[in-house]
Parts: sequence; C-alpha cells; structure tokens
Amino acid sequence: MVLVVNETFDDSSHEDAGHPERPDRLVAARTAIDDLHLDEDLVVVPAHSATREELVRVHIGNYLDELSAYCYSGGGDIDQDTYATLNSFTIAKYAAGSGLAVIDELQRRNDGVGFVAARPPGHHALADRAMGFCLLNNVAVAAAALRSQGERVLIVDWDVHHGNGTQQIFWDVPEVLYVSTHQWPLFPGTGSVNEVGGRHATDRTVNIPLPPGATGDIVRRGIDEMAGPVIDAFDPTWVLVSAGFDAHREDPMADLRLTSGDFALMARGVSDYAPQPGRLVMFLEGGYDLDALRSSIHASLSAALGQTYDGESPSNGGPGTEQIERMRQARRSTIELLHTSDDEESTR
Amino acid sequence: MKPFQSIAVGYDGSHDATVAARWAMEAAKDFGAVVTIVHATGLREHLHQQFVADVTPPELIALAQECAFDESGLHWLVANGDACSVLLRMASPPINADMLVVGSRGEGKREGLLLGSTSLEVAEHASVPVVVVPSSYVEN
Ligand SMILES: [Zn+2]
Repeated sequence: MVLVVNETFDDSSHEDAGHPERPDRLVAARTAIDDLHLDEDLVVVPAHSATREELVRVHIGNYLDELSAYCYSGGGDIDQDTYATLNSFTIAKYAAGSGLAVIDELQRRNDGVGFVAARPPGHHALADRAMGFCLLNNVAVAAAALRSQGERVLIVDWDVHHGNGTQQIFWDVPEVLYVSTHQWPLFPGTGSVNEVGGRHATDRTVNIPLPPGATGDIVRRGIDEMAGPVIDAFDPTWVLVSAGFDAHREDPMADLRLTSGDFALMARGVSDYAPQPGRLVMFLEGGYDLDALRSSIHASLSAALGQTYDGESPSNGGPGTEQIERMRQARRSTIELLHTSDDEESTR
Repeated sequence: MKPFQSIAVGYDGSHDATVAARWAMEAAKDFGAVVTIVHATGLREHLHQQFVADVTPPELIALAQECAFDESGLHWLVANGDACSVLLRMASPPINADMLVVGSRGEGKREGLLLGSTSLEVAEHASVPVVVVPSSYVEN
C-alpha cells in the first residue's frame, strides 16, 4: 500500500521564540516518514494553498479577511496561546489546502493511506476565530470538501485536547460524524459527553472525555464501545483523523499516558472504519515532545499501512475503566431527552 | 431596570485586567452584585501553572480591601479555555452573569486591530451587556 503525503512548504516563518508549536515538529514528522523506508511506495503530491472558495465552506469570510490583514500587517499574539506572523496566513492556507491535494490523489488511485504533515494545526480553529495555536481548521476544510461531493465523513480526533473548532463547525451537519477522545478537564473546556450534536445531527458528535493518567487500553475501549456502534450505523465513506500526538506520556502539554504502540493500535482501528483502501487520511494536529511525536507518527503510519510496529508496547492499567459505561448511559439519556423534546415540539 | 446581580470579569494578571476588576468591584458595590473573577487556563498554561483554582490571588484580595468590597461577594474561578470563550460561558449556569467586564487589552496585544482583541470578541458574541474598561480608567 502506498503512503500519500503532501509536499513540504516553507513553514519556517510561522514561529514564535519559545513557543511549543514550532517548525521542528514538521522536521520530526518528515523523519518519521523517512524511517518507514517506503521508496517507490511513498507518493508526494504538490502542496496546495486552499482557495477562498474552499475555506468559506467552514470559515466566515470576515474572519478570513481579518486574519489575512492581521498577518500582512505583521501579525502578533492573537490570544494567550495563539500567534501569527507576516507569513502565517500564507502558511495556514497551505496547511488547510494540502489535505485536499492528498484526497485528490487517493481518489485517483483508490488505494493508499494519506498523511498531511502540516502546521499550524487546525482543530481548535472556529468558524470565526483563531485559538489554541490554530488559525484555519485543516481537517474541517477537507471534510467540508468531501461533503460537497456527497460523501459521508467520519472524523476521529485523538489529539489530547478536544477539537472544539471541528465540533462547532459540524455541530448540526448530519453528513459528518465527529468522534473525539480527550483529557478532561483540560483546554479548551468543551467536549463533555452530553455534547451530542445539533437538532439536525443528534448523535453525530461523540465525545469521550478521559481522566488524567488514562492509558491506551481505555482510549481504545472508549472508541470501540462509545463510538463503534454510532460509526457502524453512520457507515462512513471517508475517514479523516485529527492525529495529535500530545496524549503520549512524554508530552508536556497534558497528562494521558499513551505510548507510540497505542497510536499504532488506534491507527489500525481507524483503518478498519474506512470502507476501502484510499479512504483514510491523517492530519497532524498537536504533539510537542519531538521524540514522542516522531515515534508516534512512525507507529501510526506503519500500522495504517499494514506493517508491524515493534517500538514501544501499548499501555494499560490507567484510570477510567469504570467511567466508560457511565458515559455511555449519560450519552444515551441525553439523546433520548433531545428526541423527546423534539417530539413534543412537533406534536404541539 | 433590574439591578445587575452577578458580574463576571476576565483576569489574566495584567494591568488592564486589574483596572477592569477594580471597576467591577466598584460597580458591584452600587448594584449589590456578586463578582466572579475568572481566569482562563489556556493551552500553554499547562506548561507553567500560574494560577491555582482554590486560591484567590492575594493581589485581588488586596484590591477588594482597597475598594472596600465585601470579600464574601467575591468569587475566584479558574476555567479551561481561551479568555474569550471562558468569559462568554460565565453568562450561563452556574454563574449566570448578567454583566461581563473586560479590560481593553490583555498582555501583548497590538493596538487598533480587531483580531486579537478579547474585548471586541466578547462584545460581539455575548448575550448580556459587556463593559470594556479602558486601561487608563481611574475612578473619581
Ligand atoms: Zn492538542
């Protein structure tokens, strides 16, 4: 099976001294890809800068204008976490567009696995606001493009933080199913199990909040037991992954205890949700310890390509087991309640 | 008009936030309102925990004493999220703030640009009145 990745674009000028979301992260990602020694099975597609038409499917035009003006006037801090520089808008458009180029190539081949090595990350970016290191929502731009082609898109977000931007953008969109595992409580404060989607898309958001210290076995059980039946019923035609690697135990940004072996198992798991080869794309989100990032990307791609991964063993034994059944019930009652109030409304 | 009963003010330790907190306490005295001072724990704050959930920063207690604002009506809250989202959430239960107060600029913000201004973002999205306190404001 081939690995389709985007060509690198020069992201070196999107940086802020001492900021953890830094250009070296992409160097680690490229090393991870090189370590796979794929030779002719590695397909590099030209990076693509997202057009306005592609971006306005998820972002409001005013926000794009403001962000562009802000960057071209020199940039600066957008909030306590998020920065922009002179070139950030240009770089962010490449990050948002490269997923589309990878998807095009996969559609042409009907084979392979896609990986979008790009930054800044995207899953916190809202329709009208930058936050949490994110300017444009890369995975959302890709999902929206697929949706416009009539596809049903599953987004699995295993970054340690909740992807509030992605959830918001597809909150009431029945053609996109958003599944997130994340540490809770933690930034950005959203992602409770009771957030299940809007009126037209009840059940299309699945949140799996996990306690600090949770290990890979719990994360996988959460996905299998809470999201599995929903995914089966949804029957996706495409699978996109918001692949952040900050749930790794070495990552300084959070307190989950995953290993690269866990990411291998999760990548294998999401591949099984894709209906055929050439329908799975992973998008780099977080991951701030460079060694952990490299080994975790390597593990994920190996597994998605069907290779064996013999690095760090998967982790288990952390807290959260007893929580999963409780979360499943809480989710079910929330959905029942929403349906009941809908029924009452319609009989009124 | 019903007097305001619950005022929430964003706080990041900056000068502007302190000016806003002072205005909120002075206003709350007039209205007989409680004041919730809320700090947003951003993504990066995990790297260097600055504010602690259960401990009201001593400078805010000192500020309350200076304003002769009864400390029993002062609540300290640390919440995960960016400053804008966290303050907006204060208008919902359990805080139910009926007024949001922000300083005009936080740390490191550039003048004259819409983006990067928590005050303008909050004002644009809020469901209750928002007061933006200028950084040069002094009660007379
Ligand atoms: Zn993250």
